[in-house]
Amino acid sequence: MRAEELKGHLDAVLLAALEGGPRHGYAVIEALRQSTGGRLDLPTGTIYPALRRLEQAGLITGSWSVVGGRRRREYRLTAAGRRALSGRRADWRDFAATVSAALEGRPCPNPA
Amino acid sequence: MSEPRLISDYLAVLAAQLPAQIVEELTDGLAETYQSYLRQDLAPDLAAGSAVAEFGDPHVIVSAYARVNPARRGARRLLLTGPVVGGCWATVLITSRAWAWPVPLAARILLGLALLTVIGLLATAALVTRYRLAARAVLAGCLGAAALDTIMITGVMLAIPSMTWVTTGAVAASTARIALTVQTLRPILTR
Repeated sequence: MRAEELKGHLDAVLLAALEGGPRHGYAVIEALRQSTGGRLDLPTGTIYPALRRLEQAGLITGSWSVVGGRRRREYRLTAAGRRALSGRRADWRDFAATVSAALEGRPCPNPA
Repeated sequence: MSEPRLISDYLAVLAAQLPAQIVEELTDGLAETYQSYLRQDLAPDLAAGSAVAEFGDPHVIVSAYARVNPARRGARRLLLTGPVVGGCWATVLITSRAWAWPVPLAARILLGLALLTVIGLLATAALVTRYRLAARAVLAGCLGAAALDTIMITGVMLAIPSMTWVTTGAVAASTARIALTVQTLRPILTR
């Protein structure tokens, strides 16, 4: 799956990768690879600005540490981030169920 | 890490356009990516090439950071407040017949030029995609806006001894904008 196909869902995916605990940028990418079986083909460099944007939105918070002589920025979910993730998950389930129903000709499980 | 030339060249492109803290974070990420390829038994040059390819075009990364640059957002907010604060002061100047005040023509021209310069700096910061240029432009624009607000508050309070509700409103608007200016500058000065 390419980056453009993920458009609109990158924030939720990044928040989900941080749900298990604090991670730095590369660890977030590794977590996404593991959780998707390597099917997410994202340019690694673009993950970092996305994390910065989530931090500015108050959904995650970053802190610096020194590892192996290099400065490393680690991110963790805020309470607002957990709420946002929960909301995005619910929206995604609803969206996926609706589109699946349309594509497969099945009745929608949650009609309007 | 003794890194291959390819990686240091890649980081040099980023360092030329992004703040040091962002480059430090990217350096760590790229080093981790490079190390992961080395652990897969790739030769150093091949590992470096793979790491750089995985990171993607450095200009795309710079553009992505430009979109989240707090300087650009801050400049846009300040530009949006301009018509409100300007309208308040225009009302004060018209209702108090400011054209009859004994202010030298040179000072009036200087004030007008300063106002245009501040608008130009903030517009540059809001539109430009170069991260550091946006930060410098918003810094100069913020200082100019704060100076203009201070000059207007001080000048009008000296020229009009009795405060009217119109003057009070304009002073409050300018004071609020000075606070917004400080808020805009904080994330830019702390990085």
